[in-house]
Amino acid sequence: MSGRWGRLYNGETTIDFVGRRWWGFIASGIVVLATLFSLLFQGLNLGIDFEGGVAWEAPLKKELTIDSATKILEDNNIETRSAKIQTLGGGSSERIRIQADDQSAEVRSAVQKSLSEKAKVDVAEVSVSSVSSSWGRSITTKAIRALLVFFLLVSLYIAWRFEWKMAIAAILAMVHDVVVSVGVYSLLGFEVTPATVIAFLTILGFSLYDTIVVFDKVHDNTGRFSASRVSYEDIVNVSMNQVLMRSLNTSLAAILPVLSLLVLGAGVFGAVALQEFALALFVGLLTGAYSSIFIATPLLSILKSREPKFRSLIGQRSLKGDMAILMQTGSSVSRKQSARSGVDNAGTKVNPIDAVTAVLSHPPRPRKKTRR
Amino acid sequence: MRRKLLFTLIATVFVAVAALGGNLIAGNKPSLGLDLQGGASVTLEPKGDYDTVALDVAVEIIRARVDSIGVAEPEIIRQGSTVVINLPGVKDQQRALDIVGRTGEVLLRPVLQSGFKNTDATTTTIAGQTTLPAATSSTVAGATTTIAGATTSQPASSGGLGSTRGPMSAATTTTPTTSPATTAPSTTTAVVDAGATTTTVAIAVSPSVPQQDISMTNEPTKQAVLEGRDGRVYFAGPSQADGQVFANDAAAQINNGSWVVAVGLRDGASGEDKWNALAAQCFQKAATCPTGQIAIVLDGVVISAPVVQTANFNGSVQISGDFKEAEAKDLAKILEFGAVPVRFDSPTAQTVSATLGKDSLNAALISGLVGVLLVLLFLFFYYRRLAIVVVGGLAISGMLQWSAISWLSQRNGLALSLSGITGIIVSIGVTVDSYVVFFEKLKDDVLGGKTLKNSASRSFDAAWRTIVAADTVSLIGAVVLWFLTVGSVRGFAFFLGLSTFCDIIVAYFFTRPTVILMARSKWMNGANMFGVHARRKDEGNEVSAGSSTEGVVAR
Repeated sequence: MSGRWGRLYNGETTIDFVGRRWWGFIASGIVVLATLFSLLFQGLNLGIDFEGGVAWEAPLKKELTIDSATKILEDNNIETRSAKIQTLGGGSSERIRIQADDQSAEVRSAVQKSLSEKAKVDVAEVSVSSVSSSWGRSITTKAIRALLVFFLLVSLYIAWRFEWKMAIAAILAMVHDVVVSVGVYSLLGFEVTPATVIAFLTILGFSLYDTIVVFDKVHDNTGRFSASRVSYEDIVNVSMNQVLMRSLNTSLAAILPVLSLLVLGAGVFGAVALQEFALALFVGLLTGAYSSIFIATPLLSILKSREPKFRSLIGQRSLKGDMAILMQTGSSVSRKQSARSGVDNAGTKVNPIDAVTAVLSHPPRPRKKTRR
Repeated sequence: MRRKLLFTLIATVFVAVAALGGNLIAGNKPSLGLDLQGGASVTLEPKGDYDTVALDVAVEIIRARVDSIGVAEPEIIRQGSTVVINLPGVKDQQRALDIVGRTGEVLLRPVLQSGFKNTDATTTTIAGQTTLPAATSSTVAGATTTIAGATTSQPASSGGLGSTRGPMSAATTTTPTTSPATTAPSTTTAVVDAGATTTTVAIAVSPSVPQQDISMTNEPTKQAVLEGRDGRVYFAGPSQADGQVFANDAAAQINNGSWVVAVGLRDGASGEDKWNALAAQCFQKAATCPTGQIAIVLDGVVISAPVVQTANFNGSVQISGDFKEAEAKDLAKILEFGAVPVRFDSPTAQTVSATLGKDSLNAALISGLVGVLLVLLFLFFYYRRLAIVVVGGLAISGMLQWSAISWLSQRNGLALSLSGITGIIVSIGVTVDSYVVFFEKLKDDVLGGKTLKNSASRSFDAAWRTIVAADTVSLIGAVVLWFLTVGSVRGFAFFLGLSTFCDIIVAYFFTRPTVILMARSKWMNGANMFGVHARRKDEGNEVSAGSSTEGVVAR
């Protein structure tokens, strides 16, 4: 436990997140632009649940089984991944219902013919009809409306619990997540199913949760450093480094099951339905973890450092050793100790007295005896 | 303090185990969704004239109604000209028909008589008694037999029904919007004097009549005894019109400071003429409508029974009364939805198989389990013995969620689709976050020189604030999505809310006492119990409070 990993493990990293904020902004900007172009020219590959398609119904007889029906679809070059094949029972006779993406008239009748041959019935006994989307327009409109209401309420809550600038940063980060996730789906042409939408909603929740934990730390530190002249960039940097381990741990804990679903479930067991869902989650989790570190917090630092209190300190960032001391003295570490130690992790010497007075403008209050 | 914590811990574990045990004993199991288990498929064939637009409107209306029944995720599609409704987890075809049948149309019936269900202790002992006001008993004469057959008041549910006594929105008035003179003083005229219920006509009913008879009597062509939403019981004549007389434009409005519902009438024989024919009878208080009230019946429940104020309506109807805003909006919605623009033949039901089947389910469960094991392995590696708390917490949370899901599967037709199951698996990863927040805080404090024993409780308080802030946001999301969306998004909202709620409960009632108790035990006080103390040996003493030497980096 030494070196870089040791510092990460003990929450003593001194990464200058704010100084590198443009990296994140530029990277995201490129992805967002690509998304817009892709949506404009390529659009989204919507599944049967959104766009409707075609349905065949045939008597379930002879060689006509779910497997042979799948085979017929494959022979006609129809995507079986999104096709739904069900058997209907309980009536006078068993029937099979096959739903797939919309097909040309030739393919429709070709499949109809193949099905009737397998079932050894007259072609007229196999019905072909268009299917509407099961995910109606009203579901989409309602979901979008609900999302907007949710954004509004969440902003109000964050504004009340923390402050309105944090609300703006958090919401922008969420919008970023949605755009980037949609972009990945549009660019790579993945099929959008209801499961995808649900997965994205899961992600939004996760990303927001992540952002709030980081902001909570920033909020805490703002209070802690309020007596001293510390730039907002410093506060953000210190907070980010303090919660970095938490962010990584949480993201890892969330991604591990998804990876397992993707690799084991979809790869080894070949469950295609899992693949769609896990893929969306995987994309979203990465974006969510990324956005709370590289979008939400840097945005916040830009918004906040223009405030009168911090304006004169813009650009003043304590890096490396200074940041380590700031972190230690700012946290509940015994101040005398760290001052006396006066050595940061990178090994550079700093003047301990300066470092402490930078943080403390008044002597530490004697600790109260707490009742136990 | 210690005793209290121990008590909390034991109580939490007890509740979780009891909930799980109770559900297992009762045989409640989570039911699976359409994709995993199949269900029932109901096909509605339109009859008469219709066009595609009308059919689409009908699909949306049916969706709204089916959705309002439970938390399951039904699938409603238009296949050719038929409407197919797939209901997850329903094995019984008759039940499927009941569910879709309950989404039936709005009927307009003349009210012959109305009164309260008797809730007096003396009469409830006689099972199956319905009391009707004596004041209007003369009109009952011819119809007594029908009442007798029908009013087998359900012994189970009658208790809740009679709870509202007193004239509520039942006494509503109907006025044509075109004649403002009658609208202005629309004082609610209580048709049936509430006091009259003291003199009651008790009709003894043989308890052998099956309970379903009540819904059977909603047969449009027959007289029926119907329960009102306001707690009254209505005896109504044959339906003379249905919701299709109204145009799809019902709206709740404020008129003279009170809420009214305005709705347009369709032109011609199937709209205005039909309504006016019924209204004329009621206005004259003819034998077919002695009370002057028209009952608006949705799926066998009287939603509202306004008194007709004029014989002739011209184009639109305004229903006023002692409405609250929500009641008026509700009624407007029913009148609007009631106007399904397409008539359907009697539906047929079939069972329908799963689209994905057991393979996908097993794949999801196995890979999910592996994923969770990986997470736990990682946590054990990282937090050492503290990870035991996570295992315990996940177990408690799992038991609570399983119980809630099985219970709701049984009660509300909740069904788990594959995305629901994977969602739950993924939510485990997210739930772990609250532990990570707590443990990182704890680690911070111990690094800062506090003992584990001292910092456990304080770290929790700090972490608790963060957890609550973050979970509140999730809960807001769940509630908003639940109330504003339909279909599978609603299902998602439910699981999000459930897992967030469990997270909060477990964090406070399980994680907190466990960690505090563990921190006090000797077992956790040795070195290296959650990875923190290792640093002292490895890297020197630069920040550890206990050291008295000048900091020298040992590297």
